[in-house]
Amino acid sequence: MSISKTYSIKSTDKETLRKWYYLMRLGRSLDDKAPNYLKQAIGWSYHAPYAGHDGIQLAIGQIFDRKTDHLFPYYRDMLTTLSAGLTAEEIILNGISKATDVASGGRHMSNHFAKPEWNIHNVSSATGNHTLHAVGVARAIKYYEQRGVAISSQGESSVSEGYVYEAINGASNEKLPVIFVIQDNGYGISVPKRDQTANRKVANNFSGFKNLYIIHCNGKDVFDSMNAMREAKDYVLENGIPVIVQANCVRIHSHSNSDRHELYRDDAELNYVAEYDPLAKYSRMLIRYERFTEDELQRIDEQVNEEVKQAHKQAMKAPDPDPESISKFVYPEPYAALKYPEGIHHHEGEKIKLAQAINETLKAEFRYNPDTFIWGQDMAHKDKGGVFNVTKGMQQEFGPKRVFNAPIAEDYILGTANGMSRFNENIRIVVEGAEFADYFWPAMEQYVESSHDYWRSNGQFSPNVVIRLASGGYIGGGLYHSQSIEGVLSALPGVRIVYPSYADDAAGLLRTAIRSKGITLIMEPKALYNSPLAAASFPEDFEVPFGKARIRCTGDDLTILTYGNTTQMCVEAADLISKERKVSIEVIDLRSLIPMDKETILNSVKKTGKVLIVHEDNVFSGYGAELSAMLMEEAFENLDGPIKRVGAPFSPVGFNRILEKAILPNMDKIKNAALNLLDY
Amino acid sequence: MKKTALIYSFNTINTAKAAKMIHEAFGDFPIDEINAETLTKDSFVPYENLILGVPTWFDGELPNYWDEFVPELEEMDLTGKKAAIFGLGDQKEYPENFCDGVGIMAKILIERGAELAGETQSEEYAYIHSLALYKGRFYGLLLDEENQSSLSNDRIKDWVKELKKAFI
Repeated sequence: MSISKTYSIKSTDKETLRKWYYLMRLGRSLDDKAPNYLKQAIGWSYHAPYAGHDGIQLAIGQIFDRKTDHLFPYYRDMLTTLSAGLTAEEIILNGISKATDVASGGRHMSNHFAKPEWNIHNVSSATGNHTLHAVGVARAIKYYEQRGVAISSQGESSVSEGYVYEAINGASNEKLPVIFVIQDNGYGISVPKRDQTANRKVANNFSGFKNLYIIHCNGKDVFDSMNAMREAKDYVLENGIPVIVQANCVRIHSHSNSDRHELYRDDAELNYVAEYDPLAKYSRMLIRYERFTEDELQRIDEQVNEEVKQAHKQAMKAPDPDPESISKFVYPEPYAALKYPEGIHHHEGEKIKLAQAINETLKAEFRYNPDTFIWGQDMAHKDKGGVFNVTKGMQQEFGPKRVFNAPIAEDYILGTANGMSRFNENIRIVVEGAEFADYFWPAMEQYVESSHDYWRSNGQFSPNVVIRLASGGYIGGGLYHSQSIEGVLSALPGVRIVYPSYADDAAGLLRTAIRSKGITLIMEPKALYNSPLAAASFPEDFEVPFGKARIRCTGDDLTILTYGNTTQMCVEAADLISKERKVSIEVIDLRSLIPMDKETILNSVKKTGKVLIVHEDNVFSGYGAELSAMLMEEAFENLDGPIKRVGAPFSPVGFNRILEKAILPNMDKIKNAALNLLDY
Repeated sequence: MKKTALIYSFNTINTAKAAKMIHEAFGDFPIDEINAETLTKDSFVPYENLILGVPTWFDGELPNYWDEFVPELEEMDLTGKKAAIFGLGDQKEYPENFCDGVGIMAKILIERGAELAGETQSEEYAYIHSLALYKGRFYGLLLDEENQSSLSNDRIKDWVKELKKAFI
């Protein structure tokens, strides 16, 4: 039970009691009605009934203040969102996936209620995934000194997810204003709590964390839940540290309409939980303590029925999503890099190395926009600035609130970036996603999540985040230090991917990425960070638009498409061949993988008729496979030979330099492949 | 003779069984049995000696019928009344909240001025946490029919002996 007693059956005013009863009755009416839409083949094919969670869900919504707070409801939070202000019609519009659904316009799964304009966020189906977003937005609440809280609502099974530990650890360490509400109904679908963790009171698993207050309450009881949530919010606002509220609930029905709980719950248990129906209890209390008569409650019931009836009628008339709209909101509009529309400059001067170019551009952008932040592993400790010192000097100039170390938790790094950018649209976040690109995999669930936030929210939210990853091989790094991952990542729509080879392009692309809305992944060829081969001079304001390739050398007999570490090798090979033979080779440095500059590629192929694709990623399912497929579809008539690819064989990159050399492309391999193709 | 009530839910199984055993152990001592599910302030107030059967639901909560009575209880003056509480729990499956209901109820009664009778020793039990524990003793009689049913009979007899003395 919670400690405070702000609310009780005897002391709470009648109007408030009435409002609560109305909301609870309305919620339950919709919860009970939802399966009918599926039976009638109208929609709502995913419905996770909330009956049994009534007390805590009412309380979350009542405590939430849309002017100052951020709410992350999970897929069972129908009453939470109603209590926070959504209408019955908005609930049904989401349930039956209409175009006017305020959560997602019918794009996200049903029963995922949200209203982003009110800071009721559209969250993932991956349970507890939004815990990291709540922590991220709480970081902004704290930074901008807003008196508010982030509320992450979730089931108790989500606490088994590693990222939930990362989130609570981070909130505790950073002392962030978050309330984690764990709605505990004892089951993760059919998996009982005992199979999830040894501690029935799962919140107590976190009792060793510093700066964290844990409250247990009866989530089936309106007053205990209201008191617990009130206490939690007051505590967070007063002390500036996170709180966990574990609310004990019952799940009266199955997990969802695809689950049959009678397969794993016996009659005794089902009777037991039904007996503790929170709505029935609240109704009994209202009558027992003479706050309402049965007639009064009945009149409210009739009003609820009428509202549901009208909401149903209106929702059924609402338009369905337009199939023509599917490509809308995959990417937000990028920054219009108008100063250098082709991403080309003619600046001459002292050459700067690639790492320094990134460093100086980051600093310039941090001076330009005060709402920029950067964090990552090894980011800022005295004179160290990133594992490759690319962020050297940034913390000294911009301070530890804008430039700081992250824990060794890649998902936390990216998830809190996504969350923090929800605070307002001006914020731009750069993260070093991992020490090396191939350590990025633990962040994949947040990468996937972030890739479709914009589309899923029907254009209402885009994570404005730049992910920097030190990529590729040629450093004798072996596994986890030398692999290429862009081929895998490019399979996901929603993230722009750029891979510069030279200092000027790295600077220009980084500037464009930071100024753009949406999420951009910058693969940085770490072998070239300090290589004279990649050094370049460039104007201070240089910017490179997305989707603009750069022709590194022109030619008529063969087109080489490349990016990243292999560009310089291709240029050298082309140079040597042109000196040995009377041929010329066009080397196209793609720079942007997504979006792809088809125009430059196709124009070149029209001219040369032959294409060699070079990258250090695996040939099999590498990015070149997509390039090749595109050319077969769109340039078949222009081809005068097979498309050839040079890349790594289908093997990891080995540590020993002999192995690395055998696996990765080099100038000789590229030259030989080019000669073979020229001779075809 | 002071009026004594034995209050528990008549719809329970283990609690009702224990209540019957308690009643029997009192022998000729006059005791009225009251169903906690229909309990009202009027039916509660006349008794000077109270024996309450309070099981624990879920992860450490009062059952509905007691929980819904608490707002009434919280406004009563129980000075001069003696109250004894028994409760059933499962030390093995629910060791984090073993017989919490007994502790929750005990604190409310004490706060309202009642004198608690029938505290028991806490040895012979193996659990992690219990709200029924206070300064090394339990507020009342804790029974575990799932794991220690063979001990229940003696525990009840010993407890009732103490209550008889306290209720005089």
